[in-house]
Amino acid sequence: MRKFFAIARREWLSYFYSPLGYIVLAAFWFVNGFIFSTILGYLSQPGARSLQPLATIFNNTFFWIFMLFFIPVITMRLISEERKSGSIETLLTSPVTSATIVLGKFAAAFAFYAVLWLPVAAYALILNHFMTIDLRIVLSSLLAVLLLGAYFLAVGTFASSLSKNQIVAAILGFVMIIVIFSAGLVQTLVNDPAVKDAFSYLTIWDHMDDFARGVVDTRHIVYYVSSAALFLYLAQATLEAKKGQ
Amino acid sequence: MIDVDHFTMKYYGPPAVDDISFSIPEGAIVGFLGPNGAGKTSTMRVLAGYLSPTEGEIRIAGHDVVRESIAARTAIGYLPENVALYPEMRVREYLAYRADLEGVRRSDRAARVSDVMERCLIADVAEKTAGTLSKGYKQRVALAGALVHRPPILILDEPTVGLDPKQIIKIRELIKELGRERTVLLSTHILPEVEAVCDQVLIIDRGKIVGQGTPDELRRRGSGASIVRAVFAGDVPARDVLSAIDGVRAIEETRTDGETRVRIEAAEGIDVREAVFRQAVENRWVMRELAGETATLEDVFVRLTTRDQGEAESAHA
Repeated sequence: MRKFFAIARREWLSYFYSPLGYIVLAAFWFVNGFIFSTILGYLSQPGARSLQPLATIFNNTFFWIFMLFFIPVITMRLISEERKSGSIETLLTSPVTSATIVLGKFAAAFAFYAVLWLPVAAYALILNHFMTIDLRIVLSSLLAVLLLGAYFLAVGTFASSLSKNQIVAAILGFVMIIVIFSAGLVQTLVNDPAVKDAFSYLTIWDHMDDFARGVVDTRHIVYYVSSAALFLYLAQATLEAKKGQ
Repeated sequence: MIDVDHFTMKYYGPPAVDDISFSIPEGAIVGFLGPNGAGKTSTMRVLAGYLSPTEGEIRIAGHDVVRESIAARTAIGYLPENVALYPEMRVREYLAYRADLEGVRRSDRAARVSDVMERCLIADVAEKTAGTLSKGYKQRVALAGALVHRPPILILDEPTVGLDPKQIIKIRELIKELGRERTVLLSTHILPEVEAVCDQVLIIDRGKIVGQGTPDELRRRGSGASIVRAVFAGDVPARDVLSAIDGVRAIEETRTDGETRVRIEAAEGIDVREAVFRQAVENRWVMRELAGETATLEDVFVRLTTRDQGEAESAHA
């Protein structure tokens, strides 16, 4: 456990040693702040209906653009940089399992991702001070954001294990996330009800709609957690297989 | 402490390490010599648990490097050939991180880190970030990282590369000191380093072990002949006279600048210096120099590695 925290801590700190972490934070906070102020503007109009103002934050085009573009940027460095610089040799000859390495790095990326969402929690509290909002919906939406984030970050971690080049890792991660994201589209293209059903299970934005309505469906949770676990396993297997290359 | 049994390492093409076996006892400092591409780094990486052997069984302090990898890795401090630190981390911070990875108890950590910084002469850069250090400092920071958990076995891949002569001497002293209580395997190109530091030498070439023993043994075994050089004033018929001496096998003679220089090769174990001196006195030659030549480890190294190369080439032909 000590070793896990040592790896996670080093990885976490390295987000703040390079400009990358600050750029991602600034860009994300700016966009979310902008969306929040738009919501406030809307709510300030006389006669505005104010049922789920915050759901907008989790379900708008900006949110999806962020998830598709920025998550690979958050994860691209994780394993590829160590392989490029050669520091992976020291790491892999320490008495640490490759699973601990992958989990430690993933945990750091996840913590950074969670920090990105902190202001949104603050927005909810601010709104709650001035009007009545359904906090359960806020919580279920935040849960969805964290689960989806864990899933995509795991995909990005796997992508990072595939290449020594961070840019290549980011592009691979982006492509994989796009494919996963688009898998839901297949249901609109096929007629076979069984296939349609299977792909509707994979339709991420439908899941998000459920969460945004306050519905916490365990099937969705199982889907995200098991998919994240699968990609972390793949990252670990790749790390082992590429030793010495 | 280190037992290697029929170890083979293959990548693509001919094996990088071809069925070698050796064993290193506890407390020995062993120099691992060989030309570039001989298989040194492959072997060290397998010992350190970074690569898996293609074939063979390797035990580190009794632990199999494949089946009990974590236990084997705990027993080892490894300095890789290519030192890579995290450029943004401070030296003290980096060593604390390494201590955590190695499972050093948190209460011991600060003391251990200060101790290795002291020993590796890097205390003056403790608060600097690794990216700003010179190559020599980086090398020593990495060495400190390999020592921080006080492993019983050290595997050092070219530990003195990039150091200045003064630092080299200090690091050799450190390695010698460490070798008193630990088992050390170090690879190097620098032959005097081996003579200065190591109790045992292992020479590897083209994936095979071609020489093994103490530096003295290798020198004695390696030369195969004893050589004497002499210089006489003026032109003297040295070859004709000296070839009569018992045991002399060959003499080379050169005349330059009013001197006659000879190189006398005698059978192994026969010292012809006294006989040469007596002949010079009898013939009233003026002797300017007389020296017995001992084979250096360098000679042995060159002979062992080139001979093998010749054989390998004829085998391929």
